[in-house]
Order: sequence, then C-alpha cells, then structure tokens
Amino acid sequence: MNETRNGLTRYSCPYCSNTFDSFEAIKSHIITDHKTELLPEPEGMIKLTINAQKYKIRVEPEWTLYYLIHDQLGLTGTKLMCDHGACGSCTVIMNGRAILSCMTLAIECDGKQIETVEGIAAANHPLIEEYVKHHCMQCGYCTPGFVVAAKALLDKNPHPTEGEVREALAGNLCRCGTYPQHPKAILEAAKKLQDLVEVK
Amino acid sequence: MGQELKEMPNNPMEHDKYIPETFNLVGKRGIRRIDGYRKASGKAIYTRDVQLPGMLYATFLTSPYASARIKGMNTSKAEALPGVRAVLRYDDPEIRGKKVISTYGGEEEILSGYAYFQGQQVGAVVAADTEDIANEALRLIEVEWEERPFVLEPEDALESGAPLARPEWIPAPKGTISADLSATQGEGAGSNKLPVSFGFAPVLRFGDIEKGFKEADKIIEFKARRRYHGCADAEMQSGITRWEGECVEVWLHHQHPYEHKWTMHQWFDIPMNQVKINSPYNGAMFGGWNWIDYSMIPQCVSAILAKRTGRPVKWVFNRRDDFTFGQMDVMTTDFKVGAKRDGTITAVKLKTVYANCSFEAALHFLENTSIPHIYSETLLAQVNRGPTMAIRCEQAPPSFCFSHVFNHVAAELKMDPTEVALKNDGTEGEDMEYLAEFKRSHGFPVRDSLRECIEAGKKAIGWDEKWHPPGSKRLPNGRMHGMGFVWTHEWDSTRGAGVAGLLIQPDGTVSIIALRSDIGVNAETTYCQIVAEELGMRIEDVFFRQQDDVYLPLMTPDGSCNLTTNGYVMKKVAKLAKKKLLELATSTVHLIESDIPPAFPGMKPEDLDIKESVIYAKVDPSNKKSVAEVVKDVKGSVILPREYAAIQNTTHEPIFVWAWHRQGRLGVEPGRHHLCRQAHFCEIEVDPETGEIEVTKVVNVNDVGKAISPEAVEGQQYGGTYMGIGRNRSEEYIWDKPTGVLLNGNLIDYKFSTMGDVGSIETIIVETGMGYGPYGSVGVGEDIGTVTSYLLESAVYNAIGKWVDDGPLTPDKVLKALGKA
Repeated sequence: MNETRNGLTRYSCPYCSNTFDSFEAIKSHIITDHKTELLPEPEGMIKLTINAQKYKIRVEPEWTLYYLIHDQLGLTGTKLMCDHGACGSCTVIMNGRAILSCMTLAIECDGKQIETVEGIAAANHPLIEEYVKHHCMQCGYCTPGFVVAAKALLDKNPHPTEGEVREALAGNLCRCGTYPQHPKAILEAAKKLQDLVEVK
Repeated sequence: MGQELKEMPNNPMEHDKYIPETFNLVGKRGIRRIDGYRKASGKAIYTRDVQLPGMLYATFLTSPYASARIKGMNTSKAEALPGVRAVLRYDDPEIRGKKVISTYGGEEEILSGYAYFQGQQVGAVVAADTEDIANEALRLIEVEWEERPFVLEPEDALESGAPLARPEWIPAPKGTISADLSATQGEGAGSNKLPVSFGFAPVLRFGDIEKGFKEADKIIEFKARRRYHGCADAEMQSGITRWEGECVEVWLHHQHPYEHKWTMHQWFDIPMNQVKINSPYNGAMFGGWNWIDYSMIPQCVSAILAKRTGRPVKWVFNRRDDFTFGQMDVMTTDFKVGAKRDGTITAVKLKTVYANCSFEAALHFLENTSIPHIYSETLLAQVNRGPTMAIRCEQAPPSFCFSHVFNHVAAELKMDPTEVALKNDGTEGEDMEYLAEFKRSHGFPVRDSLRECIEAGKKAIGWDEKWHPPGSKRLPNGRMHGMGFVWTHEWDSTRGAGVAGLLIQPDGTVSIIALRSDIGVNAETTYCQIVAEELGMRIEDVFFRQQDDVYLPLMTPDGSCNLTTNGYVMKKVAKLAKKKLLELATSTVHLIESDIPPAFPGMKPEDLDIKESVIYAKVDPSNKKSVAEVVKDVKGSVILPREYAAIQNTTHEPIFVWAWHRQGRLGVEPGRHHLCRQAHFCEIEVDPETGEIEVTKVVNVNDVGKAISPEAVEGQQYGGTYMGIGRNRSEEYIWDKPTGVLLNGNLIDYKFSTMGDVGSIETIIVETGMGYGPYGSVGVGEDIGTVTSYLLESAVYNAIGKWVDDGPLTPDKVLKALGKA
C-alpha cells in the first residue's frame, strides 16, 4: 500500500489506486469516499465464534471446518474417522444444529457460532459426567462426536424419549459397540439439567 | 530373586493361590474410569491429533491393480511441486530390496516395486508441508505399470494353471523364525499354496476318524463359508518419527508399539536405548493391523524421510488405505460329522481352504468337548487381496466351525441345541467327570460352567417358551421368528508377559510405571484397582498413565490376555511395595548427625496393615498414620527444609519395586484345560419379503471366573455383540471380479452395526473362579465379538427352516434360501 521514492512515502488506496502523501490523508479518503473500514479483508478471511471465543482467521478455500478446528486451532476433541460424512465423529454444533465438520467448508462458516466438545466440557455440561459414569467410551475416539450430537439434541429437546435419543445418535458410529450406554447417560443428563432448571 | 513372590504362579498350569476372601475394590461397580473424563471431553490425545513443530506429512502411492509391477516411474513433477520436501522411491539405493523384519518373524519389503493387491502401498511416498500437497504430488507421479493376471478366490488360486498371486514371494529360509512359524514349506515359490500359518500341522488327527463315523447313528455333511471382512477401526492409521541427533522418537497408533524399537534398531542400527516410544490413545484396534509385518513399513519409511528432511514426519493413511487388511476367517469348510441319536458327537472331519492366513479350525473341538475322533485338514492359498490377520482374535476359524457343527447336529437330530452342547461338553476327548477331577486336583472350584451359563441364558431370553421347531413360527407382522444359540469355552488362552514398576511418590500417591497401549478395555483403571486393593490404598491415590515410554518392555496389550497376565504383575508390585512400605514405617533411618525414628516406633512390619491409604497398628487401629505421612516423614536432604524432600529426593530409600510375570505360551498347551464357558442366545425376525434379519434380543452369558471391573466386562459383552452381529449380517469387502478392485473401502458401503442395528442386549456375568488369571479370572476382550459372529446362522435356520451357511447373511442369501431369488 505504501511505497518510498526519493525519500518520500506515498500511500496508494487499495480500492481506487489514488495516491496520498500521508497516512492521515489516505485514512480520511477511505472513510469518506469508500464508506468502509480502513482496509479490505484479505480473501479467505472469516470471523466466527467457537466455544464463545471470537476468531478471525484466514482460511484456504479447500479447508474443511474439521481441518480448521482440529489442525489449525488445536481443538483436537473433534475427530476424523470416515472422512466423508458417514460416522458422526467430527460432529460440532453450528448455530444450534449438529453438523459434520468434515463435510463443511471452513470458508462457509463466516459469522457462525460453533460449539465443540471442548466447549461443552468447559461449561460442565452434565453429559460429560454421565458419559464417564455409564462407561460410554471404550477406545474413546468416537465419544466426543456422540457427546456433541447428544448436546445438540438436549438443546432442542430437553426431555427426549429413549427412541428420540437413539434416532438422534443413529448417525454416529462406534466400532467398540458402546451404543447401549449412550441413551442411559443422555436421559440421566437430561434429568440433571431439569433439576438444575428447577433449582434456578 | 527379591522380586519373586512364591504364592504367585509362574507355571502356566497353576492359578492364583492368593485370593482374598473379601474385596474392597476388585469386582466393585461404580469405580470411576481413569480415561473417562479425558475421552468424554475430547482431551484424550490420539496419534492422529499430534502435531510437532515443522512436521511434514507423508502419504503413499497405492496400486490401482490387483497384481502389478512398476516398470518405470517419473517423480520429477512431484518433486518440483512447491511444498514437497522429499520423495522416497522403491528403487532408492537405501531401501531397494531391503526388508523390514518384525519381532514376529515376518518380513516385508520396505517399499516394494510390485503390488499383490489393489490399494497396496507401493512404489513411492511423498513428504510435504501438508497432507493436501503430499496427495497432490502423488497424482503427479507417472508410473509405467506392468499389469499382471490375478486371482481373488482361494479355491481358484489352488487350481493348476492359476495366476501366481505373488510371483515375488519366496518361502522363508530354513532356520529363520518365519520358517519356524510355518509347519510346512508349502509348495515353494512357484505355487499359490502357502505353508500353514502359526506352526500348526496341515493335518490334525485326534483319535480314529473312521472309527468315529462307524460309531455314529447319523452322518451329516455340509459346506460353510465366511467371506472377507475387516477391522474398520475408528482412527485411521498414522505414526510420527522425529530424530534428535542420534536419538529417535516415535508416536504410534499401534497396539504393539514397543516392537518398533526393535524395528528401528534393525533398520537404522541404532541401540534400542536411544529409541523413545510414545503410545497415545488408540482409536480402536482389535489386533489386526498390529500383527501384520506390513504395519512396520510406514513407520520405517517415515523414519527415513524424517532423517533426510531433518523434520518430524507424520505418515497418514486415508480411509481407503485403512482397508488394506482383513480378518483371518476367510474360509470355506467341508464338514462331515458323525453323531448318535442322543446327541453325542462321535466324529468331526473338516477340510478348510483359507486365504492368505490360516488357523487350526478344529481347535475348539479339542479344547472344549468330549468328541473322541477329530480330523482337520488345512489348505492355505495366497490370493490378490490384502493380508489377513487376527482382528479381535485368531479364534474366529475354530469358532466358525464349532458353531456350525453344533447347529447342524442339533437340527439333524431335531434336538434342542443347548442339550447337544451339554451332552458333548468336556476336553480333549474326555468327559465332564474327568474335567471335575482335573479341577479338584488343581485346586479350582468344581462347577459346571456351561450348565450355569445355559441355565442363566435360557431364563433371560425365555428359551423354553420361545424355542420351536425350524420354520414353524410366523409372527402377526408376517415375519418368521427364530431363536439362536452358540457356545464355546472362555478365552482363557492367557499368554504373554508383563513388567511394571511401582513408585510411591513423596506425597503418598502411587504411580504404576509401565508402557501399555490402550485399546479401550478400561485397563488403566483395573490395574489401579488391583494395586489399590492389594496395597490397601484408596483408588484415587493410584494412577496409571499407560502411554509413556518408561523404557520397560510393553506389557502384553492383547485384548483377552492383558489383565490375566498383567493383573498378576499388579498384584506382585503391590505386595512388594506393601512389604517395603511397612518396613520403612518400622525402621530407623540413620544419618550422620542424627537418626530419624520410625513412624511406628517399637513395632514390626507384621504388626501393621494398610487400609484406605492409612497405615495402622493391627492391635490398636487408632494408632495410625497416612501413607503420605510415612513416606514424607523424613528430615529432608542436605540442609533444606523437609518440604524440599520431594524435589531433592528423600533421605530414605524410595518405595520403588518392580515385577514381571509370564503367563502361558499360546495358552493352548495340551493339558491346560479351559474350564470356563460362555453361551450366547438371540431372538430374531426374518422378513420373508425382503430377506432382512432383525435382531430383537441378544443375551450374552460369560463365565469370566472373576469380574474385576464388571462394567468393563459388560462393555466387552454388548460391544462384542454389536461387532459380531455386524460381521454376521453385513460386513464384507466386495471386489470387482473383472478388475480386482475393492469397491467398498469406505464406511458408507462397508456396513458395521449402528445403534439401531441390534435390539436389546442383556449381559450376564457368571463367576465360577475357574480361570488361570488373577483372582480366578479369564480374558473377555476378544471372545464375544468372535463367537457372536456366527450366532445368526442357527437363528435363521430356526426361523426359516433353511440353512444360510455363507457369511455374512445378507438379505439376498436369505431370499435365495427361501427360494425367492
């Protein structure tokens, strides 16, 4: 944006290429004439909220949301198992809906609210303790995906029936076969949430 | 031998002679899983999650053909791609013709120039800044392939004139471990006929088979088949290598990570004491991959690339790459069985053809029944499919044959299958009376395990009310109702060795010091339970972090062996530590300027005991001090206040002990009889219009001897059932016959059980104490998933009155049996 020639610094506008002698001049020009913030966002810049933390990050067009969360931001609780939307291990909550982060492009997530298993655990959601208590994990690789799917269910439906729980988790694969434990833990967590509401 | 404890068995024929009358922690429910929070909250780290500064990613070229040789390769475009840091080729002088030798004796070329199945990692591997760049570079590699004829089915492979599945294959030279593991040398390099695996004889003879047929009232002949299926584990395979000068550090998604120290030593000629292994949590395992010599290759490749680039290299398989291996029950068996009218089986004759790996199919008849005459012939063919190995157990072939024989005999004799089971229960041709005497003379409780299991299971599923003649019950919804039953012995094939240390930290907490790869069986907790129980500590004061390299050999990590072997190690270290701790509590520590008096002056170790992490006098329990007080009760080193003892080490000898235990060999040595049994029951509905099987209820009954963690046992029961039912009903690799290309190497088209695929599962634990493991326990990690893989055949027969002896029992086969397809 700025170049130095013969000891003089010139500032060129990134919108219209006009040049100015001082930073103050170009700043005033951009605000007045282009009616915008000072600089255009670089291509691929997105803003999103993950677990109540704001992020502003430049993403490549081919990045999946999983890759952004897991590899770039280090939130490794979100897991990759099937890599094509068949197993639910990479589930995160986006604007209230459980979605598959391996099938979602990061660049499409501008402005979104995301919740991962780390956020659910940090908030001391009763699901976590109930999962531990009911041995809902063996190898544990798919477990965060189940927890996130369960959280999304309870957010929408605080009093699910066992059938509704099973339906909500039907898309989550567990090779160790921990399936029977999840409805027990989730229904118990729902009860705990209800108790919390009543106390409040 | 200060580390020996006489009451602990070292002879595999012996069992635990030190069983407390009451337990505080062993067998108790509600003990918090050590890995529970980490796994539920996403904090548990798996190899796939690990990233190191400057780390490169390595991906592999795979063969597009079922059998092919690389005639030429141009990697220049791949090498020129920005972000590519190294390309390793099959013809690189460092690796050309060299093989990886595993501790199991097998050998594989490190990066071969030929492929013997489609999807094989072959020819080239690229290390790049990102996985995407590495994959893009792979697409830029130009390969001149020589496509070769291939053969997919073992029966075809054994016919004369069949294409050679692996022309480069050379039999193991005599005198090598590989040769020792093969009973015969097959037919050499010019044939697809392989030596029989695992050292079994190609023909097993027990008794006089012809005599057995003569004694029979009925001869039953049939054929059954199990098609290729696989592991489909949760976390795709990966590993990392980083060099730090002459030292190498690796991170492995592997059940046997310690083996890689050996491999690194073999390959790079570096001492094993300069190799560090990290064994993060494993996203499902089930053996399989870890037993294949092939699993050594990517790690070696990444080590070479890491050395060349000077950066850590993480090798990664994609989901399709993960479908390169399968379970070893790819088999077709011809059965001929003789039986008397009362259900007594007099003879079993088997002829089995396997693909790529074999096992002894008759084993369970020998180990588990009074059948006097057994003959089993094994033929092993190599075919152009990936390697097969034990995925959740090598006992799949014997379980397959055992369940088929018992199902068919009961059906032909029109008997209740549970009665046929009880009629033939025994061992090595001997009946239950012999077995009762064996139990008595070896100090085991004398109980009839199978009868107990069957009675419990029948009651739970309502067998007596619901079982009916084949094909005789149609439900109001139009479906056909069926009841199924299988049984066999428990997995008391305990084997392996374990070594561990135990340190009482200066704050009184206990560290178990051992390396043990996690496979999800709650081992971290159960090991702590045993230590806490034996040492008298509170469970929360004992901790085990299994993933650290503590420079001790890996504790046996196999699903059904680990606790029955390593549990003894835990008992031993706890008992040794208790002895040392009580000695410290009653001993004076002599320093130059002063003496530190004992915590319990004037007392002897035998006057004290420990409970709830507190040491107390037996005669006066109010005279007590916590373990923390006792181990910290020192003056402190040098001139620093005593709180510094924790930093500068203590003035007394640390309470550190170690122990080792070996259990059996393969666990199937003759004369070491299996005493515990298991029985599984199911109720199904078959839709005669679609051929679909709905499993409405399964009951698992396992005599585990003693359940140390009941929740963990139940986890293996229902978890194994989901895997078994999936295998039984839908899991199958499907190849395109004309091209030999695997069509369903993904988790959409390869179908394992979801939450909706099995109705209710009831788990019943029987505890007879008749196991060789600690507290009379047996292993339970592998067996249910293996045995229930053959549960539905009997239920489908009971429902439709026709056999579908071709697993998996897909709807098309059921419809065909019903005459509808």
